[in-house]
Amino acid sequence: MSNPPSDADRPLADQLSSRPPDEASGPGDTRGSSVDQDEFQNTDSRAQLQAEGRGEAQLDSSKTPEPAPDYSHLPPSDRDWNIAERKVAGLFFLAVLGVLGFLVTFFAVEQEFGQPGNVYFTPLLGIFMTMALGGVGAGTVLWAKLLMVDEEAVQERHPFGSDPDERAATAKALRQGIEDTGLPRRKLLRRSLMLGAGSLALLPLPFLGFLGRFQHKERVLATTSWREGVRLIRQNGTPVKLGDLQIGGVESVFPDVEHGTLKADSPALLIRMRPEDLQLPAEQQEWAYQGHVVYSSICTHLGCPVKLYEQQTHNLLCPCHQSIFKASTGATVIFGPAARALPQLAISVDDEGYFVAGGDFAESIGPSYWERG
Amino acid sequence: MRRTSTSRTRRSGYAVVLLALSVIGTLYTAVAGPSAATEEPASSQSMAIEEGRDFYLSGCSTCHGLDLTGGAGGPSLIGVGASSVIFQVESGRMPLSAGFQQAPRKDVRYTREQIDALAAYIQSNGGGLTLPEGDLTDGDLQLGGALFRTNCASCHNFAGSGGALTYGKYAPELEQASPRVIYSAMQSGPESMPRYGDNQLTELEKKSIVRYVRYISESEDVGGAGLGRYGPLTEGLVIWVVGITVLVLMTLWIGARA
Repeated sequence: MSNPPSDADRPLADQLSSRPPDEASGPGDTRGSSVDQDEFQNTDSRAQLQAEGRGEAQLDSSKTPEPAPDYSHLPPSDRDWNIAERKVAGLFFLAVLGVLGFLVTFFAVEQEFGQPGNVYFTPLLGIFMTMALGGVGAGTVLWAKLLMVDEEAVQERHPFGSDPDERAATAKALRQGIEDTGLPRRKLLRRSLMLGAGSLALLPLPFLGFLGRFQHKERVLATTSWREGVRLIRQNGTPVKLGDLQIGGVESVFPDVEHGTLKADSPALLIRMRPEDLQLPAEQQEWAYQGHVVYSSICTHLGCPVKLYEQQTHNLLCPCHQSIFKASTGATVIFGPAARALPQLAISVDDEGYFVAGGDFAESIGPSYWERG
Repeated sequence: MRRTSTSRTRRSGYAVVLLALSVIGTLYTAVAGPSAATEEPASSQSMAIEEGRDFYLSGCSTCHGLDLTGGAGGPSLIGVGASSVIFQVESGRMPLSAGFQQAPRKDVRYTREQIDALAAYIQSNGGGLTLPEGDLTDGDLQLGGALFRTNCASCHNFAGSGGALTYGKYAPELEQASPRVIYSAMQSGPESMPRYGDNQLTELEKKSIVRYVRYISESEDVGGAGLGRYGPLTEGLVIWVVGITVLVLMTLWIGARA
């Protein structure tokens, strides 16, 4: 209904020129006759007739007549018409310039991969492509706005329901189906079905707090790959020796096990500071070795990597939510949303002078969870 | 007979002394020859130290003390080495203009030669770390990238754009840092930055990192504006604020009556 059929049949030029007679520009205007308002009146009544013919309740279009097409914005004179046409054509020519500019830039400007080239290469390509695509787009929009009929069309909704015959037939088929199962007559069948189906409600009972038996006895979430005597290796696989780090140095360390650098729960940060700076809790003092401490580098808040170490303040910052841990006092939280300290790894040095772990972390690494214990 | 024999002994004694003297003299010339040849650089070295001392006294001693032992607000510089001097002065952080949480990068106040003289003076007082000779970017680009992402990117960002640390401190962006500054920063660990000794990152590894940092700093931003190279944060912001606004305005223009 957006276009009345009679309109669609007419040539475009004819439609474009359809304007009320009082706005026609005079004797010089050769672009066809004035429009007859009756045609649009007819359109309304035809819609009304169609609606009533369906026999269904719907919006009565006769109460909200479609507004007549608005011709007021169309150029009043030949001269104005030409000006508007030139605006649109100008935009289309801009698109041509954009395409040419794009091609010239692409082929004329020297640009090699990885070489510092012309800084303006990519921006120029973008600007010319904007001209090309935008010229066509803006030209089309302007064409529609300046030179086309501005018509507000109302499209009626179709009725939602099926017709009564179809509904009756469906209901009958359903009723017949139920009869055919025999349920209305067979009492035993009906009651046993209700009992059987009703008992299904008891199935979720184990989920209401009786799943404790299946808690991970292995404590998979609470253990990592660190074991007693496992060496601390760098990301490239080399073990870390005592003396490799200077005071104020840090190193990301991983357990020297198979795929150790890929274990998501095991990365840790080895930090060396002056031994007198260390003020570890009493039970953790044995876990450090000559000013070296190792903490899990997985934040206890949401598991981001905590590796931003400030060697002067001994602050360890988590980049995600700005939790700050004090490395000198056992990675205790001094700011931010983290709820507990980073777990510390006990370390010592083996016969060859390489750092080894003294065992697994004493508590679960990473974000807290329900049965962390 | 006795007389002649004594005189002969005396003469032979002279001969021995003469011979010994000539041998010692030749030996001395042979040994002292090279040292005499190195006298010229040694004196230019001492001249650089003298010159550096003058720069130190006029530009640095107010805070660091006339005898390098530190003073009002400045730490002792004995034993910090030439490397630290090059980092602090060549990046413009020193001389410090005011008491900041962290020394900001500023315009450099000294020429390359003046910086080297200052460094030579500090180095002559207690020794310390020095930069290696030669081209500091003479490393493996790929190795440097891997090491940068492992050791540096957590603070300095994967593109070297820097990032925030705690309580107003920050890891600076690295685009303006010269190879000497980058190398000495790894070596000396200025301010909040951890130190990376040669046992942890070898000279070749450090040079590789320097080469990588210079590479990402000099490579242009494909697509025009780099938007700080912070990744999805700034890019998303621009898309939402600028891009969506433009789209809404375009939609309004298309939908508006002529």
